[in-house]
Parts: sequence; structure tokens; C-alpha cells
Amino acid sequence: MSHGGSAVVRGSAGGEASSARTVALVGRANSGKTSLLMFLTGSAQRPINFPGTSVERSESEVQVGSVRLRVVDLPGIAAMQAISKDEEVTLEFLRNTGVDRPEVVCAVLDASKLSIELRLLRQLHALGLPIVVALTKVDVAAAEGNPVDVDNLRRALGLQLVPVDGRLGHGVAELRTMLGSDAALLSRPDSQAQSSTWQPPASKSTRRSMTDRIDAWLLHPLLGPVVLFGVLVLLFQLVFRVAEPFMAVVEDGQGLITGWLESVLAAGAMRSFVIDGLVNGLGSSLLFVPQIALLIAFVTMLEASGYMARAVFLLDRLLRCFGLSGKSFVPLTSSFACAIPGILASRILTDERDRLATIAVSPLMSCSARLPVYIVLLAAFFPPNQAGFLLMVMYLLGIVAAAVVAFVLRRTILRGGSSILAMELPVYQRPRLRVVARHAWTAVREFLRTAGTVILAATVVVWALGYFPRPAELHEKFERQRAAVPAGDAAEAALARIDAAESQAYLEQSWLADMGRAVQPVFAPAGFDWRMTVGVLAAFPARELVVPTLGTLHSLGEVEASDDAGAESVVRLRDALRDARGPDGKPVMNGLVALAAMAFFALCSQCVSTLAAIRRETHSWFWPVFTFSYMTVLAWLVAVAIYQIGSLLGYGLA
Amino acid sequence: MTSSATTCLACAVRGQPLVVGEVLGDDALAERLRVSGLWPGALVELLGKAPLGGPMLFKLHGFRLALRRNEAERVTANLAAPAGNLTGSAGAEKNA
Repeated sequence: MSHGGSAVVRGSAGGEASSARTVALVGRANSGKTSLLMFLTGSAQRPINFPGTSVERSESEVQVGSVRLRVVDLPGIAAMQAISKDEEVTLEFLRNTGVDRPEVVCAVLDASKLSIELRLLRQLHALGLPIVVALTKVDVAAAEGNPVDVDNLRRALGLQLVPVDGRLGHGVAELRTMLGSDAALLSRPDSQAQSSTWQPPASKSTRRSMTDRIDAWLLHPLLGPVVLFGVLVLLFQLVFRVAEPFMAVVEDGQGLITGWLESVLAAGAMRSFVIDGLVNGLGSSLLFVPQIALLIAFVTMLEASGYMARAVFLLDRLLRCFGLSGKSFVPLTSSFACAIPGILASRILTDERDRLATIAVSPLMSCSARLPVYIVLLAAFFPPNQAGFLLMVMYLLGIVAAAVVAFVLRRTILRGGSSILAMELPVYQRPRLRVVARHAWTAVREFLRTAGTVILAATVVVWALGYFPRPAELHEKFERQRAAVPAGDAAEAALARIDAAESQAYLEQSWLADMGRAVQPVFAPAGFDWRMTVGVLAAFPARELVVPTLGTLHSLGEVEASDDAGAESVVRLRDALRDARGPDGKPVMNGLVALAAMAFFALCSQCVSTLAAIRRETHSWFWPVFTFSYMTVLAWLVAVAIYQIGSLLGYGLA
Repeated sequence: MTSSATTCLACAVRGQPLVVGEVLGDDALAERLRVSGLWPGALVELLGKAPLGGPMLFKLHGFRLALRRNEAERVTANLAAPAGNLTGSAGAEKNA
């Protein structure tokens, strides 16, 4: 962190033993504690669970002169009596008398709502610990027409007080020095100080602030919902249009690498492994990076600007119909990029039942990994004008399913009293580019970590199951055909045809095909052939594998590899899906099967990483198992219903 | 003051400031409302309502607080005295 280095004097050259000092960061939720901690210590924070609880705290250390500061960020509290479990943990930590006890309390107070903050400060006095005040959002207070006289406030409180800017880091160096100084230990409220009675002067300004004027438009009973709808449309445009050119770049890059590898690697198992397994698997997951980055950046901008809280305000009534809270909107929106950041974002839900219901339905939102599956199947079986409409239907299917599941959950296993909204709407602020970039990067890094482990491992397994066994007699049969090709102009084309037929023949007798045929009866009611069944099976570790697996199954592996225009491979898969024939010569896919397959992929839980995230966030095995089960059953039921009803109406396979 | 409360926050009208009487009940919701700045004597103004019976937005102590209707119903209130006395009523807040 650039703010860290210069102000920190490391070591104690004077020979004095370095002493340690524990500082507890205390404040209301949203007072800016967490970003302050980042600026304060400038180092990576270790999230640690409080002993015996699932509540996380983060702490990190920094050297100030001869003092080693250990700064602990505690869950936000509103008063010295606990309402939630998080608050209980904070109070326990503040009151404990063991070795872990804090020596100094750093009270993070929001200058824009001093009267409410000072109540908390007065209650903190009762701890008997030295208190250093970090005053945040002084600029917001001024913009809202309630400027704070910092010197006056410091005198009135009788405490050490440092104004800081939690967004830009101004004043943090002074705060750090103060926390490490002897003055901090002496910063105790004396009982005679005005601090117990002092009130901030009441607002004299009747002028409407900038935020009031913006709210008049954005929270207008008619205009507000219209703007919100526009924002959501913009969000999806971002997925479909803006991300496209970026994705084309990734695809081109994959094509170039594949081309280069083909020129350096000899044909055989090794080349097939590297190109069809590694490059194909990694490439098809890297494809989603631009989308995830853009969507998360957009959602972060909505949050940082203050608009997200308005969306929560406007949607609370609607979401309550389904047993969710307005706050569920934030995780559900993130889930359109990827369910993992969505599940993490569900922490903002203070009510445990709301939070669990939101986590359980987040994976039903169509994430960016589902999009390529939709696009390939839609392009193969529907004209463009219908495809656009059906794509929207797939997204709606997820949303409607989420509403139904949440509704049922809140009336069965998550039944219970209504939650509490009571939330503050922040002032509008211009989002900091750095914060937006950091959030987007965190989401991408998390995704890449998954892609680098789960997806890669699964790709390799799928590749191996589809590549082996390699019986010698099959090889000899095609060698004989090759030898029989007469020399001439047509020889090259004939040889390519034989190569394709050979890889097709290998695949037909591979372990993967055996598995597909064995499981196919389960999916027969949905109209899936063994190849689509294999696509479904391969997708359970991660749905990113659907398109590459279908590509391999329709004997494109080799053809696609020599093709350096990424979009063309989609066209080829599209044509192959359309032309695929069963042993009886009849087509195995049509529009109805495609629709059933898309619905299956839309609703099925095919992402090990999401289940792992649910396990982490709920601290139980029940929720990942439950989410996986209900989604898979639901997906199967809907796919079968679509195929069976469609068949009755005469749209089935002939 | 609290005994003579005539209305509640859910009945607030725009442009007509209210003075908080008390928060009814002592469950988690009441506790949350009390620590959100809704203590006796606090000056509150309605900023707007979400459509179709959605939450209400209030301004108090210089910040904006969104409450559901059922949450606002838990807070009794009085009409604030005319503009000149506003600072006076803020000073009369009870200390918790």
C-alpha cells in the first residue's frame, strides 16, 4: 500500500524492546472501519474466526516506532447492548480481560451523523479503556449542510481525535502515529468533560443537499422504478454486448496458442492432452473473465455510488412477497456474473433466515458460464429473432424459479418472523475507480483460482475418459483406409475425412461414451441422447465444460483445434448439433430437445466451487447438499416437463 | 411528552416534521430502532415512500433512514413545534 511504507518506522534501533499494543477498531456498521484498517496497516488482513463462533474479524499488524500495533477490526455495533450475534462477539472482545484484551479503543465515528455516534461513544466510556477517535466522512457532513468544527469537537470530547478519509486515506498516517504514541494511552474521558452532555449544534441549513435532489428523481414513485428497470437493462446489455469484443480477443488468443502448439507437438496422446484437454479447458473458462470483471465492476459502482441502497429501498416490497428482503437484491444481482461473489455478498443480510434463503436461490440466477451453452443451442435450432426472446426466457426461468423456491423455503424450513429492514441510505458519491477495480480483480482472481483447479482437473478427467481406450485394431483399420487413398488433388481432403471418422470412432467406444449410454435412460424422458447426457455429466464439476465437451463429442476436437477463428468453432458445433444422427439415421436433436437442455442447464447446480462457497458461508454441510439436490431435481423435472408437453403438442422428435 | 403522542411515523406526511415519542415494544426490532437514532425527542422528517406500500424514507440527525411500514408503526410521534422552536426540541432530547 502506497500510504503505508513512508510513515512506518520499522524496528527499534535504540535497543529498546519493541512492545505490542492491541487496538480495537469499534464503530457502527458502514462507518468505514474496514477500509480504514487497510490504510492503517497497509498489509494483508487475516480473516480470523472468533473462538467458538462463525463470526469473522480481520486483523493485521504494523510497526509504529518501537510499538507493534495489532489492529483488530470488530463487527459493527450500534450500542453497548448486543442485538445480533456479531454484536455480541464485539462486546465480548471489548470486555474480556485476558491476554487478548484491547489496550486502546479506536472509535470510528461518522461525522455526518454525530448525534447518533456520540451516544455510542458515551457508552464506550464505560469500558474504562483509552479511546482515540477517528472521525470519518467530514466532507460528507459538510456537503449535507452540517459542517463539523473538528477542533471544537476535540475540546468538547476531551479525547484524542484525528479526522481521516477512509476512501482516500488522508489523515491515516497521523492516526497511525497517534495510536502508537503514549498520548493514546492517556486519552481517557475525564468524568467532568463535556463529552457526556455535549451535543452537536442542530442543523441550521434548510437547503436541500445534492443527495436530496437526486433522490427526488431516483426515488420518485413513478420515475424511480423506471430508472431501476433501465439500470437492470443496462446490466444485461453489459453481459451481451460490451463483453463480446473482449471475449472475442480471448477466443482469438486461444486459437493462436492452439495453432502454435499444433506446429510444435507431434500428433498423439500428448498433443491431444495439451490441446483438447489443457488449452481447451482453460480457454473456455478464461472466456468468462471479461464478463465477470465487467459485471462485478458495474455492481460495485452501483454500490459505491449509493444507488444500490436505493434499489434495495424500491424493491423491498416486491422481494418480501417471495420471503426475501430488499437487501437480497445485491447478492442476486452479483450472481448474474457468478454465484460465488453473490453468495459472499449475502453477508449484508442481517437476518439469518433471509440470508440462507438468498444463498440457496443465488445459484439459480443465470451466471455468465451458462451463456455460451444458451448461445450454441439457440443458434443451432432457432432463427435469430426467436433466439433473442428465448434467451430472455432462460434468464427469467432462473428468476422465477428463485422466487418460487424462496417462497417455499420461507414457509417451510426457514419459516419465521419477519426480518428487519431499518437501514441507512448513504449519500451519493462518485465511486472510487480503485475500489471498483479491486472488487473486479478479487472476483476474477477467485474465478481464476477455481478455473486453475476444479475446471482444469475436471477437463483433464473428461479428456481422458473421452480419449481412452485406444484399441490397436481401430487404429489399424483406419491406417488401411489411409493407405488405400489414391494420390492426387483430392487426397488431402480424403485423409482429413478419414481422420475425423477415426476420432469419431474412438470417441464412440470411449469410456465417456459408455458412461453416457449407461446414464442416458435417466435423461431419456427429457429427450437427451447419450451425447447430451455426457455433456450434462461432464458439467457437474463446472458448467464451463458443457460447450468444450459437446464439441469433443461431436468429433470436433481435432477440427476445432486447427481452426484459429474462435467464433467459427461455435458455428461448427452448431451445425454438428443440428446434423447429429442416431444409429437409426434420425436426428437426435431438435428445437424442443434444445429447449429442454437449456432449461436443464439454467436450473441445475453444476458448479463445485459454488457449493464450496455455500459450505464456507453457511458453516454447514446441509445447505450445499440441499442446494445441489433441489436444483438438480428441479432441473430434471422442468426439462422432462418441457419435452413431454412439447411432444404431446407435436414438437417432439419424429 | 411521550404520553401525549398523537400519531406515529407511519402516518408521517412530507414537509411536516415530527418529534419521536417512543418506540413501542422491547423485541429485537424495537432495540434496532432505538439505536438507529429514534429516541424520544428526535426530529424526523419524511422524505418519501417506495411505491405499492414499500418502505418509507426518513431524515433524522442529518442522515437518511429507510423503514418498512410495520417498522414505522412502532414509533409514536408528535407534530413538531413551528420552525422557530426546532433547535429547542433537539436540545431537550433525553440521554439514554
